[in-house]
Amino acid sequence: MPKIAVTIDDKKLDVDAGKTILEICRENGIEILTMCHLKGLTDVGACRLCLVEIEGINKLLSACTTKIAANMVIKTQTEKIKRYQNITCELFYAERNHVCSVCVANGKCDLQKLGYKTEMDHIRYPYLFPQCNVDTSHAWYVLDHNRCIMCTRCVRVCAEVEGAHNWNVMNRGNKVRIISDFDTPWGESETCTSCGKCVHACPTGAIWPKAIVQGQLEKKPEMITELIEKRKMNL
Amino acid sequence: MNRQELQTIITAETAINIYNKYKHKLCVCCGAGCISSGAEDVLKKLEEEIKTRGLENEVEVIATGCMGPCNQGPLIKYLPDHTIYQKVDCSNIKAIVQSQLIEKKPIEDLLLFADSRPKPFIDAREDPYFKKQMKIALKDCGHINPEKIEDYLANDGYQAFDKVLFQMSPEDVIAEIKQSRLRGRGGAGYPTGLKWETVYKYVSKQKYVICNGDEGDPGAFMDRSVLEGNPHRVLEGMCIAAYAVGANKGYVYIRGEYPLAIKRIELAIKQAKKLGLLGTNILGTDFSFDVEVRIGAGAFVCGEETALIASIEGKRGTPKPRPPFPAESGLWGKPTLINNVETFASIVPVINNGGEWYSEIGTPKSAGTKIFALAGKINYSGLIEVPMGTTLREIVFDIGGGIQGGGEFKAAQTGGPSGGCIPAEHLDVKMDYESLISLGSIMGSGGLIVMDKSSDMVDVARYFMEFCMDESCGKCVPCRVGTKMMHDLLQKICNDKGTTIDLERLEELAVYVKECSLCGLGASAPNPLLSTLRHFRNEYENRITE
Amino acid sequence: MKTATPATDAALAKDPRLKLIAAKIKKENYKPDALIEILHTAQNAYGYLPMSVLKYITKQLHLPPSRVYSTVTFYHFFSLKSKGDHTCLVCTGTACYVKGAQAILNEIENQFSLEPGQVSADNKLGISVARCIGACGLAPAVVLDDEVLAKATAEEIVNKINAKIVES
Repeated sequence: MPKIAVTIDDKKLDVDAGKTILEICRENGIEILTMCHLKGLTDVGACRLCLVEIEGINKLLSACTTKIAANMVIKTQTEKIKRYQNITCELFYAERNHVCSVCVANGKCDLQKLGYKTEMDHIRYPYLFPQCNVDTSHAWYVLDHNRCIMCTRCVRVCAEVEGAHNWNVMNRGNKVRIISDFDTPWGESETCTSCGKCVHACPTGAIWPKAIVQGQLEKKPEMITELIEKRKMNL
Repeated sequence: MNRQELQTIITAETAINIYNKYKHKLCVCCGAGCISSGAEDVLKKLEEEIKTRGLENEVEVIATGCMGPCNQGPLIKYLPDHTIYQKVDCSNIKAIVQSQLIEKKPIEDLLLFADSRPKPFIDAREDPYFKKQMKIALKDCGHINPEKIEDYLANDGYQAFDKVLFQMSPEDVIAEIKQSRLRGRGGAGYPTGLKWETVYKYVSKQKYVICNGDEGDPGAFMDRSVLEGNPHRVLEGMCIAAYAVGANKGYVYIRGEYPLAIKRIELAIKQAKKLGLLGTNILGTDFSFDVEVRIGAGAFVCGEETALIASIEGKRGTPKPRPPFPAESGLWGKPTLINNVETFASIVPVINNGGEWYSEIGTPKSAGTKIFALAGKINYSGLIEVPMGTTLREIVFDIGGGIQGGGEFKAAQTGGPSGGCIPAEHLDVKMDYESLISLGSIMGSGGLIVMDKSSDMVDVARYFMEFCMDESCGKCVPCRVGTKMMHDLLQKICNDKGTTIDLERLEELAVYVKECSLCGLGASAPNPLLSTLRHFRNEYENRITE
Repeated sequence: MKTATPATDAALAKDPRLKLIAAKIKKENYKPDALIEILHTAQNAYGYLPMSVLKYITKQLHLPPSRVYSTVTFYHFFSLKSKGDHTCLVCTGTACYVKGAQAILNEIENQFSLEPGQVSADNKLGISVARCIGACGLAPAVVLDDEVLAKATAEEIVNKINAKIVES
């Protein structure tokens, strides 16, 4: 792969052309916060946590969807970006009903980790307290809309890796919800193969296996990345 | 059909026009506004009356597109004198025919603006309402029959396309458009020539041209009127664009709310195909181009390029991050040119009269004319087209006839939910892209809503925020949650329950949503809020309790 | 007659409206990207999108159910419920808003105890709102069934609705 010169956070780097800014940053040990990114799946740029400043471009661009280009001067840690990350994190918490103390994912949750990383000590916005269902109809798994952050990693893993297309998003605006089939109870879905990939793709306590005790949830999203990469090697 | 055959038709049609098979024409405005006021009955009655009097070989009755002054409708225009009758109903028809056609003298009481001007004009073009306007994109709207391609051909229709096909290379066309300094009329004002050139430069066997007719801004209806009043003009613009960028397939994406526009453009496509102006090997050249209509289904966000593409692909209309831009990877991943209806309608005059001619109209940075939809508390609401740089004062008072009931002008809202308010102290602002941006508003698609003292600006901001909240696609966090939060805070202030802290939060969120949202809808959603805060901050502060 | 209850597959097969949809699907070559076009045809034929029809379209286009459902629920034009025998649509676009559309809507809501998006218990009247129908010069505008009522007043609209309900 041809190398190009870029500057990230005042560090001059020679990096592979053709990769995204996020890939380059992670390869070079520069931390970028993300929620909707899962390596291997198509990036959608929805969570807006990975926004970076690029010299000469007057808007912030999402690192996960923007390809790196020669001579880019990128800043990932400015005051502005940090301030916006804080707001995004607070909005995640205010949007649905995230009650960590009673959540199966407590201690294993990416949203919780995000709260620590952005040093969130309280939420300045009013909680929206939307009405959310908990779908327990599947024999092995649970979908709890209260904990869902609409990252759509489950939708993408189901379509791109499993090929089942059980999941999608219904409605729009703040009424969006994850659905299976025709908003059918998960247990009655005709397309779900019960493979469990969505459970591992989900970064929070929105999708989890029934057979666990609170605090024992183990999610292995890296397994999905590994699976995708191995499939690519076979091809 | 080859080129010669087409020329024969054009010559024949033009001859009919010049030697005037019909001595007189009565145009009945069948724009959406006039139809709602009963124009279809008027048309039927008029046709009957002409027949009863045995005048059908002398007088042609034409159902035309929008003439402009929509709230004075139904309108009948008499040609060649350009005499316009307003608020016509079936009971006036006999008198109009008798007086205008037989006695040759117009009925003064029924003339356009007869009820509000001391002396109405017999030639409506003399009226300040039309005198201050310059109709380029709307040139033939209001006197040609939008359902007859022959009428369009007789008015130099498809001459620009012919010129492009036989006398110009794609590079020439792009150079001409660049020279015209035409900018996208959909809102952002991106230079059209540059956009075409970008698509042209990407090498691909398959490219697409899309006409964006998803006119979602509440208060804007110019695209609808152009599509209804002169669909062939838009189609010809698309053909020229396709030739320039090397596309062979086009889509017209129209809102589902505009059934008449859909019907007319579908008819226009059918007629153009029949004459071989669309299809394979057009006019005997090796250029092929076909157009299909796609109907929107009620989503404002589909006006955004990448969302529109998703919708044409039959999916949820959720935007994608740019880059990559549609010019590189658009419809089905192919290079795609997307322009708005009004932009395509401006292409033909640029080709016919030259880029230089067009560039000299308007202001140096914003060339040409712009269509505005006047509405709100204004006397003459409707559709107008003025050179860029016309002041807001001229539009509201000289053309629009001032504020209803002699009230006081408070603000004009431009750019719809993505725009902002212009207060009275800036009435002399020149209406061009840059000046509007410097006041915290945008040109947008050209909706212009006039407000008087009775309008509550905080509630106006809340209204637009509610719109954006409802229309948010829900994909990215800033727009999905941010617009909801801002709406709730605005509602709280409207209910006189807001605090200073709420106002702080509101301002912080506005800047955040503007900078962090994925697409243009989110990025511009805070504009009405920010602009009312800028110009009417006291109205917010007056409602806040400590 | 529009029915609120979804038809069974057997009843569906006999439904002439389904032929319209089948013809449209064929015309569009069973292409998944024509989904929205086909949904328009179905919505026009039925007045809304019954689940049985959605399932039919899904099967014919070989699409995942979730993909169809996600698309249907995204666009406000499509409705999964019957809209009522008579529909009253109040435009709440900017021009109509400035000219008092909200007052008209409030009056209708009060008079008929319905909110936008709701249908009366006897299925006779459905109320909805639109974000600009493009008749700004005639604001405030209301569309009763397919008729555009220009420069509407609350009283006039309520009377016309009552007349329509009595008529049927």
